Amino acid sequence: MSELFSANFLFRNAIFGGLGVVLLCSLVGIYLVLRRLVLIGVALPQASAAGVAAVFWLTGHGHSGTAQTHAFALVGSLVATFGALTLLVLGQRRGRSPADWSVGALFAISSAATILFVAINPKGDIEMASLLRGELLTISDGDLRLLGFALVGVAALFFLFRRDLLLSSFDPEFARTLGRDPVRYDLLLHGLIGGVIALGVMTAGPLVVFGFLVLPALAALRAAPGLVSAFAISAGLASVSFVGGFWLSYHSDLPAGPVCVAVAAVGWGLVTLAMRLRVPRRAAALLLLAVALALPQGCASRWKAAEERATSPLPRGSLPEALAARPIAVLPFTNATGQPLRVPQGLLGEAKRAVGAAGEDPAVTVPELLQARAGVELERRAFAVVPAERVSALLPQARTTTVLIPARGAEAASGSEDPVSVARAALKAGVEGPVLTGTLRRFTVTQTGLLLVRLELVIVDPRSEAILWTGAAKRPVPIQSALTWQEILIDAGPAIFAEAFGS
Amino acid sequence: MLTLDDADFGYQGRAVVRGASLAVRPNEFVVLLGSNGSGKTTLLRGLLGFLPPLAGTVSGRPGLRIGYVPQRETLDALYPLSAFDVVRLGAWRDLPFWRFGGARERTLARDALEACRAGGFARQRYAELSGGQRQRVLLARALASEPELLLLDEPTAGIDPETERGLLDLLGELRTQRGLSIWMVTHHLHAIAGRSDATVRVAEGRVEVERAA
Repeated sequence: MSELFSANFLFRNAIFGGLGVVLLCSLVGIYLVLRRLVLIGVALPQASAAGVAAVFWLTGHGHSGTAQTHAFALVGSLVATFGALTLLVLGQRRGRSPADWSVGALFAISSAATILFVAINPKGDIEMASLLRGELLTISDGDLRLLGFALVGVAALFFLFRRDLLLSSFDPEFARTLGRDPVRYDLLLHGLIGGVIALGVMTAGPLVVFGFLVLPALAALRAAPGLVSAFAISAGLASVSFVGGFWLSYHSDLPAGPVCVAVAAVGWGLVTLAMRLRVPRRAAALLLLAVALALPQGCASRWKAAEERATSPLPRGSLPEALAARPIAVLPFTNATGQPLRVPQGLLGEAKRAVGAAGEDPAVTVPELLQARAGVELERRAFAVVPAERVSALLPQARTTTVLIPARGAEAASGSEDPVSVARAALKAGVEGPVLTGTLRRFTVTQTGLLLVRLELVIVDPRSEAILWTGAAKRPVPIQSALTWQEILIDAGPAIFAEAFGS
Repeated sequence: MLTLDDADFGYQGRAVVRGASLAVRPNEFVVLLGSNGSGKTTLLRGLLGFLPPLAGTVSGRPGLRIGYVPQRETLDALYPLSAFDVVRLGAWRDLPFWRFGGARERTLARDALEACRAGGFARQRYAELSGGQRQRVLLARALASEPELLLLDEPTAGIDPETERGLLDLLGELRTQRGLSIWMVTHHLHAIAGRSDATVRVAEGRVEVERAA
């Protein structure tokens, strides 16, 4: 499981960001359950998602949507969450109808609005669908810092006013006799709930947020002997469920959010069972922790076989045997699609990019992920590959070249850098041995779940400037189960290179 | 300590208690009597400051410390709080949000529990206590806030006569030991016979004060 936290793991920051979100959800969730506001916990994340979907629709957002669109999406989430919260609180204060009436109506309206906004937006469906299904998008270091500051702020307020929040929640009239204004602390609690939900939905989607607002808190309140231990158990169960669920989803190729929520649900179920069997509270809490830790380990053998299949050796196909004599350097691919093909970095990151605060935090692109996959696929065919870090060190300025295509058509893209000149430049920089260059000419996802790709690969000897091998991948690749760019590349990568390498 | 002068109290502009004039004095035991819906609780909420007067005036000594014992059924049993946790809430009166609670608050809570003879079940969960035990815990919570005036809303409702006598004896002792002024809403006229210094009768929104000779 330590692989999840390694610096090279693509979703490492997503894990830390998601962990921060679910931890706060699990703490705020205790009050949500105690105050009998669970329905608000269902409706508000949905309202937040509706806000994001509405902004995507209004701005015609797609995968290559502008960064400004994502900044608006962040605003959309916050406005929708706090707008809905204000309406609910005002409705409750007037007290003309039971609170759950308005919460139920809000949930129904938000759910319908989210689906409709996604349905009428032909460009934004995949990213939005992945958000709604609980996919965790990659988060850059900068985004993680931004999210961290916001979450620490919420946690600090929660900690500083813990006594006043408890007093005002447990017995508001008694709190007034002690000089506390329960209305003020009610507003603070609702503000914290809204803040956690808005930030959480932007990071992990409404399913994860609602799941972790409720399930760890329910389990903790069943098992805990006191309020402090309830907060501790809730936070512990949330952390273990999230990391364990993420690990399971990573190895089983399932969406991370639902798996994490399912693991938390197992924890809650075990606690409920233990309480019914009258297991002492302390023993139940320990049992819960032990099972949560053992669950991912128990499944390890099952997923290991699948992992081995994905990295198993393959025949060399059309690649000449002579290439095995020296390590091959995989150079940055040229993007000749005319699209930036930037992999979405999470909405907070996109918002930061929109206001020009992205700094030196470059976005990952599809050609870069394909370049990395090319190295893996060559190694599967028993070719030595120059480590990517060494290529980056020798060619520090070389990143994916994007060739913008004029409106007339794809022909203009043929004017992109030719492989021999790319190899010559690499030789000057000190790259030894044969180099693999790639030109991506098409990368389009269809509504029917197909990836239309055209990738041309050339291996050149930089010294003789001789072309040693050429290959291409042109066949559509089915990607029905993939919902994010990363999943698309993980699913389609082996197929693309199998066609290009002929094995 | 606290004076009502021709004060009206009610909800949404409609007066439930009208023309209430009375004075809360130090170290006295007063009972508020009246049938259901007569306005007893409304008057108590007016004394607590929860309801601003619709007419007339309410004047209290600045800094007056009021302890409040609500009806025990109003508290949610879902909260995983022990009796000690509940009592400690009262000790947080003077604790600002930036300070950690410490020994003083724990001592106040322990002393209050002992004074109410509730130390034996301090570690038990509040929701699992009997009616009489809960009432002692709520009384201890009010005492932990170091009040000068104690207002109780039907503390003897739903508990057996023996426990009721014990609770009233305890209130008498606390008044004597701590010099508290105690105002208590009740239906049980027989139980408080001979114990109170004054009776406030509330009937159809009108308030009458009868002081013992």
